Amino acid sequence: MTTQALRHGLYTAVILFVVVVVGSGLTGCRDSSSEEQSGEMVLHHYFPSRIKGFDPILIQDEYSLNVCSQVFETLYQYHYLKRPFELVPLLADGMPELSEDKLTCSVKIKKGVYFQDDACFPNGKGRELKASDFVYSLKRTADIKNLSPNWSVLEDKIAGLDEFREYTKDCKSAADVDYSRPIEGLQTSDDYTLVVKLRRPWPQLVDNMMADVRDAPLAREAVERYGRDIVSHPVGTGPFMLKDWKRGSYIELVRNPSFRGEPYPSEGEPGDAEAGLLDDAGKVMPFADKIVWRIIEEEQPAWFLFLQGKLDGKAIPKDNWDEAMTGTGGLTDKMKRLNIRLEKIQDASDFFLGFNMLDPVLGNNKPLRRAISYSIDREGMIDTFFNGIFDIAYGVIPPVMASYDPNIKQLGYADYDPDKARQLIREAEQIHGGKIPTLKIAFQGTSTFYRQFGQFIKRNIEAVGLKVELDLMDWPTFQQKVNNAEAQIFAGGGGAGIPDSQDFLSMFYSKYRAPGPNHFNYINPEFDRLFDLTSVMDDGRERRRLYQKMERIVLEDCPAAFLDHRIGYVLIHDWYKNYKYHIFQYGLAKYRRIDMDKRAAYKELLKKIK
Amino acid sequence: MTTYIIRRLLYTIPIVFGVLLLTFCLFTLVRGDISSELAGKGAKPDTIEEIRKEYGLNKPLFLSWDSQFIDHFKNALTFDFGRARDRELVIDKIKRGVAPSLALMVPMFLGVLAISLSLSLVIAFVRGTVWDVSAVLICVVGMSIPYLSFILFGQYFFAYKWGLFPVFFSPDLTKAQYVALPVLIGIVAGLGTNVRFYRTVMLDEMRSDYVRTAFAKGLSTRRVLFKHVLKNAMVPIITRVVLAIPFLFLGSLLLERFFGIPGLGYLMVDAIGSRDYFVINAMTYISAILFVIFNVITDICYALVDPRVSLE
Repeated sequence: MTTQALRHGLYTAVILFVVVVVGSGLTGCRDSSSEEQSGEMVLHHYFPSRIKGFDPILIQDEYSLNVCSQVFETLYQYHYLKRPFELVPLLADGMPELSEDKLTCSVKIKKGVYFQDDACFPNGKGRELKASDFVYSLKRTADIKNLSPNWSVLEDKIAGLDEFREYTKDCKSAADVDYSRPIEGLQTSDDYTLVVKLRRPWPQLVDNMMADVRDAPLAREAVERYGRDIVSHPVGTGPFMLKDWKRGSYIELVRNPSFRGEPYPSEGEPGDAEAGLLDDAGKVMPFADKIVWRIIEEEQPAWFLFLQGKLDGKAIPKDNWDEAMTGTGGLTDKMKRLNIRLEKIQDASDFFLGFNMLDPVLGNNKPLRRAISYSIDREGMIDTFFNGIFDIAYGVIPPVMASYDPNIKQLGYADYDPDKARQLIREAEQIHGGKIPTLKIAFQGTSTFYRQFGQFIKRNIEAVGLKVELDLMDWPTFQQKVNNAEAQIFAGGGGAGIPDSQDFLSMFYSKYRAPGPNHFNYINPEFDRLFDLTSVMDDGRERRRLYQKMERIVLEDCPAAFLDHRIGYVLIHDWYKNYKYHIFQYGLAKYRRIDMDKRAAYKELLKKIK
Repeated sequence: MTTYIIRRLLYTIPIVFGVLLLTFCLFTLVRGDISSELAGKGAKPDTIEEIRKEYGLNKPLFLSWDSQFIDHFKNALTFDFGRARDRELVIDKIKRGVAPSLALMVPMFLGVLAISLSLSLVIAFVRGTVWDVSAVLICVVGMSIPYLSFILFGQYFFAYKWGLFPVFFSPDLTKAQYVALPVLIGIVAGLGTNVRFYRTVMLDEMRSDYVRTAFAKGLSTRRVLFKHVLKNAMVPIITRVVLAIPFLFLGSLLLERFFGIPGLGYLMVDAIGSRDYFVINAMTYISAILFVIFNVITDICYALVDPRVSLE
């Protein structure tokens, strides 16, 4: 009888296991079978974070920007292959015409561009794009009822738009806002001509407004039909349209059947033809039938999916570095056998330790700020945390920008010099009138990385005789602290939104002090004067010279210890064609093509290797 | 019985009110004004002011019929939690997450329960033998291994290395397919703690006089174990089991994150990470309500399984 009871219990356990394992299992390789059967060309991508939505005026994060830029189009785009970055027409029919006083900009719009088909249109057929659609989209950004975080870009730029915003403040609800209200600076001389009148010259008009997805035209009919649910009902003119969005886990875009088709570029820079990047020259885009993004927050599953061939590309995770890379910076044999190739990406980014100039200890004590900067072993930091691949930041402007100063390293502001730091601390103590109190550094994360990174910085600074306390917090708390000028020292950074160094220099403009991007609360009248001067100056040698001058002013005052510029190592499967890294990754899926035979052969290759 | 249930349900009213007051204090008084946070980086002061209006943050906290607390109270009672930070209705988010979470948690819960109860009965029966010692040892080892390790190894071997399961969620897959491995991992990871707990409960019962009497009367082992011992061990089992049910709705944070299951655990963690107070508030409130309801159910179950417990 004892045996019977034992059997009973064990049977229950075994049966449940078997039900779970056999009933549902053996399914691992099924995901891509349906697409293999249909012969669809699918791009498989992933994001490490979910996107916020599809309303262009609400976009703040790069992932939403990436997805939305496949659905919405702008007047201009950056040439896919040429470097330095060059603006070329997308929805515009030619380059903009600027008046002599640089206050009026006229843009012709392509005829025969249609919005995607959607239930918001009569009979569900998308209508033709008109110049008035651009006006409508810009008014939406200005309309305070829409709570667009991107208004600051347009503020005080276009004649009459600020007044329209003031008018919307008086409206009781969003429905009361009259969008037919004329705006002096946004006019349409006919259905295909947009005329923008500026309050003052704005050299970044095309980059910041006409090539920015956040100001892309969105069908008014869609906004009226879907109301606040427009975040999940994008209706644009782009090559792809939304088919499925499982918030937080999956996004699927499919080819827009009413897309007019765009030719693949026929020109590039030297080496592009040899790299096969001009093989598709002149062919009609998009090539892919579908784009799929999965949201994968953990590195392990993303890495496994990449190796299984279920993702087309993947940055090398820190924990898998040795699996992918040899000590000499090449790919391991395993990666080579899988026909995986390596792409090195130089990012337009800048990371730093920022000093709050309103802080009584740091603000009036330049020797102290410089001592901290000299105490940090940037090379050791990059070796320890970034596999030795990042660039040291010698200044504000990253090397990839046209106004990068090649002599900036020689100025020595980013040197690692503990002796000099100790000497400066003695000066700093005299200014402070005694021993420097414990300094507090805020970090925008609580993960292991931030703890380790914080310890590294702490050890470096304490080695020269200062006391440091680490303050690790989540991102929103960090944001709140720097916005309220409550952080004494903070580890921060960011990337460029347009190929213009003004993006980086604006972090030091006094009018943009916290809660603006100048979290350093740095004020220098000469810097401000040059910033105002360059703000209305066209791109050219003189502006670049002034940018470099401004950079040196910042370095001399030391409101931040600049640390590094990011370099990315990305692995790409050999079936992923026409991949060329672009800092401004908007609307690039249309260029990509999949070699379907190679992708199909990968499964066999995996089996062989296993 | 009906009077008892009604009385217990009436008791829940002040509890729910307390929950509402507590969540309001936590999410309004403690967290402070979130308008600038909602406005995002670089937002202008006028946008922040408009957000305060939009979300009713410019209203008085308590002392008015049109106060933030009254709004909080009304919204909670009508399950109208408004829109999340990404402008989707909070209730839609929750509805969408319930099915994947339950698809993961219910089989895992039942699997762990059935296996651990059966095993613990058997182990309790063979107490003191090498089987018992080995089982306890395995349980302790299982309890000592971090949950994350089960996930990492399970995903590596079963999904990646041997290709038996999908590595990650994909809409092409049925629920059964994408939850199969996480369920299996959850069951294995949960066995150590549960088998040990239930073994202790069973051992307490096995040492009772009535068990010896039952054997003396010549009842079969099976009958003694499943009819008498199991029934008498039901009170601690019910306490553990019924009170665990509300947490099934909350899903499993780690499993959902590693396997991309779009459930409520993932939703909650995401909301905490992005400080989506609207979602956190709704989830906290719903969990509290479920907990209260299942507490009542637990009390009723006690009476059903144990005649010594009187509802009066």
